[in-house]
Amino acid sequence: MKNGGLSIDIDRTRAGNVCIVTLAGRIDSSNAKDVLAELTRLMDSGETSLLVDLGNVLYLTSAAFRVLLVATDEAERRAIRFALCSLAGHVLELFEMGGLVDVFAIHHSREDALKQLS
Amino acid sequence: MIRSVDLRIHNDMSEIGVVRDALDDLARQHAIPRRALTQLQVALDEIVSNVVKYSWEDGGRHEFLVRITVRSGGVDLEIIDDGRQFDPLTIAAPATVAAGRRPRPGGLGIHMARKLVDQVTYVRVDGRNHTTLSKACEVDVATQGSGK
Repeated sequence: MKNGGLSIDIDRTRAGNVCIVTLAGRIDSSNAKDVLAELTRLMDSGETSLLVDLGNVLYLTSAAFRVLLVATDEAERRAIRFALCSLAGHVLELFEMGGLVDVFAIHHSREDALKQLS
Repeated sequence: MIRSVDLRIHNDMSEIGVVRDALDDLARQHAIPRRALTQLQVALDEIVSNVVKYSWEDGGRHEFLVRITVRSGGVDLEIIDDGRQFDPLTIAAPATVAAGRRPRPGGLGIHMARKLVDQVTYVRVDGRNHTTLSKACEVDVATQGSGK
């Protein structure tokens, strides 16, 4: 999972009008800005629904939470639908620890999310 | 047997990968369980990134020390920097977030670091912050020791 020291992979796929951003690896203070840059780029490019799939994320730190909060606010400002899905294990624990489970639109699975967003 | 690794990095976010990879390597060598490793990685990132962001405000390049110690029964992470005084134990937990209201996490990282380990200690000695995070976890110290 090492990626030139970045240790994160960001992939994009599409399901109808929903752009799915799959993050894999670790999101920490060294690479959170790359995630924000990609989400901002997608919003700038005219996407109307963004789904961030965290199913392959090993862990995330408060730097990542900050980025997701900024993206949530920005999406709301632009009337873009923005949701997270597939939080499992350690990742879900970290959201709970940060008191952030109710702060985001979180879906159990990608399928659940697409039903809501499509 | 105790195994200790000293890492000197600069106040540059891109160098955080150095301590992250070192902790990964030690975890592999000493069979630290995945969950404990994850918690240590997050806690370490929170404290180290805090030092990088806030310890020095002169815009200059500064070096600080991260020492990772694997000992029987757990892992200690020490962060020693000569930046401005900062005691993570004085940071209050962020207010509970109400549904539909988004927090602007500031103290969130420190709060998480404190919850992810078993003990945090802080002392200011000779103009340096010494922050130590200790976590009890399963550790195989019988192998790969360089001694100390």
